Amino acid sequence: MRRLLRLLREVPLPHRLLGLTSLSFLRLRNVCVDFPIYQGSSRSLKRALLATSTHGNLARDALDRINVRALSDVSIDILNGDRIGLIGLNGAGKTTLLKVLAGVYEPSQGRIVSSGSISSLLDTNVGLNSDATGRENIILRGMYMGIHPQEMRTRVDEVAAFTELGHYIDMPVRTYSAGMMIRLAFSISTCVPPDILIMDEWLTAGDAQFLDKAQRRVEEFVRGSSILVLASHSTQLVEQWCNRVILLHQGRVVTMGPVKEVVAAYRRLIDGAIPEAAAQIAAAG
Amino acid sequence: MHAETIADAETGRIVELPEAPTRAGLAAIDLIEGVRKSWLWTTLAEQDVKLRYRGSILGPFWQTLTTAVMIGGMGFIYSKLFHTDLHDYLPMLSVGLIFWAFIAGMVTEGCGTFISVQGIIQQVKLPFSLHAYRLVYRNLLTLAHNFVIIPIVLFLFPHPIVWTRLIELVPGLVLISIIGVWVSILLGMISARFRDVPPIVASIVQVVFFMTPVMWPVQALGPNAWWAQLNPFFAAIDVLRGPLLGQPTSRYSWAILLIMTAFGCAASFAFFARFHSRIAFWV
Repeated sequence: MRRLLRLLREVPLPHRLLGLTSLSFLRLRNVCVDFPIYQGSSRSLKRALLATSTHGNLARDALDRINVRALSDVSIDILNGDRIGLIGLNGAGKTTLLKVLAGVYEPSQGRIVSSGSISSLLDTNVGLNSDATGRENIILRGMYMGIHPQEMRTRVDEVAAFTELGHYIDMPVRTYSAGMMIRLAFSISTCVPPDILIMDEWLTAGDAQFLDKAQRRVEEFVRGSSILVLASHSTQLVEQWCNRVILLHQGRVVTMGPVKEVVAAYRRLIDGAIPEAAAQIAAAG
Repeated sequence: MHAETIADAETGRIVELPEAPTRAGLAAIDLIEGVRKSWLWTTLAEQDVKLRYRGSILGPFWQTLTTAVMIGGMGFIYSKLFHTDLHDYLPMLSVGLIFWAFIAGMVTEGCGTFISVQGIIQQVKLPFSLHAYRLVYRNLLTLAHNFVIIPIVLFLFPHPIVWTRLIELVPGLVLISIIGVWVSILLGMISARFRDVPPIVASIVQVVFFMTPVMWPVQALGPNAWWAQLNPFFAAIDVLRGPLLGQPTSRYSWAILLIMTAFGCAASFAFFARFHSRIAFWV
């Protein structure tokens, strides 16, 4: 039965067979993101002014600004119905890419074009006031998602029910555990099905029962031609939730394609990365 | 230059991306989108005011009480110090101080326009201008709470009020709010990049307070009054204080405010257009 369902899922949707244009999409072309790392004196206006007015060529040293290229030359097309998994080692650029997709970071080079409403779950406590109750926070966070408090008020009970937090929903959020915060954040962010849902890996911290429930909800709206982008370390989660996977390494897209192939490539990368690191240490020593 | 085309993974067709909007275009979109989300920043600002005084009996009127006590205390002492009649001095001082608190509040808080909402900027895409509108509106709300002192003072120390002149408060407040928006965007960006700016601005505002005719009448400078009249802080206070106290507005004040609005908006817009894509990296 399960296999049959999966088979059905993999059959291309009719509008794609017909080559109709997508309803929602995210398209990235040669996207680069450079992070200026400001530390110490580069944060100082006085230093910056002195550096430029006295010795022009000393400016760089005096400013001690370091640029880190977090993403380089990323070109991806994410179309509706896609459930994209982003995998890669720590510091591979997963979160940066999510933030670019969410529109938080503007690429230093390249272009991103998107269509459709975006809901991003990058952090569990965005827009949450720790002294306010769960119920109040549903309205508060809804506001940051662009939902008017009046409309959100009609959804509070529904969201509260989905969290299964019981009487905790009327307690201040500061009393919540990490898992409870995840329940609350996920329930709010998906209460109005977004066209594009962007999630960072913190979701994996939720308990298995809630994860199942969350997966069912996500599958439901992805079937309604939406997009999911999920970053995770857990290949198991990616295998369960996603139909395409992007492997990032050092800010570049290594491969992108069906789950099994890319996950296998990721495993090879992990196996390769560890001896590589060992060799580096040996060379440095 | 890379070709901005790529094969569509599903259909095999080449998809070309539309032209990118210009920086100025993006900045203008940001400012307009911010205005269109007015329900969001008004609600957030109201909440800011409420939360600041959560759990206290008087609520936001704590602020009013603090201001009233300050005006009372300073009024009695300084009227003796300056050998002026309390009847003349106290209305001038209270109106001046209330508007000073409004203007200085926007300038000092303006340094934190973006730093204080760092968590939001890093997680959700919202127009950056929205944070500036929220800040200005929040200060307008605080001003409204403090404003209740003014009728009381004017009742206790009656002044010849020319009712028709009160209409001048409207353009005055509108201009100052517009100035507040560009100041908070500009200072907010500079402060996000250079973290030593907020303390510098705070000390400058402190010094300017003593140089601005708030606690003392501008006439006290005698022939040197023009020197204080060119101070933009004075211009802002003057256009609001003049109509309330039935005094003539200083001759430069409106001109200074208009110039501040026009040039400030232009300069600030240029800066915002150039750097607004960096804000998320700075905070």
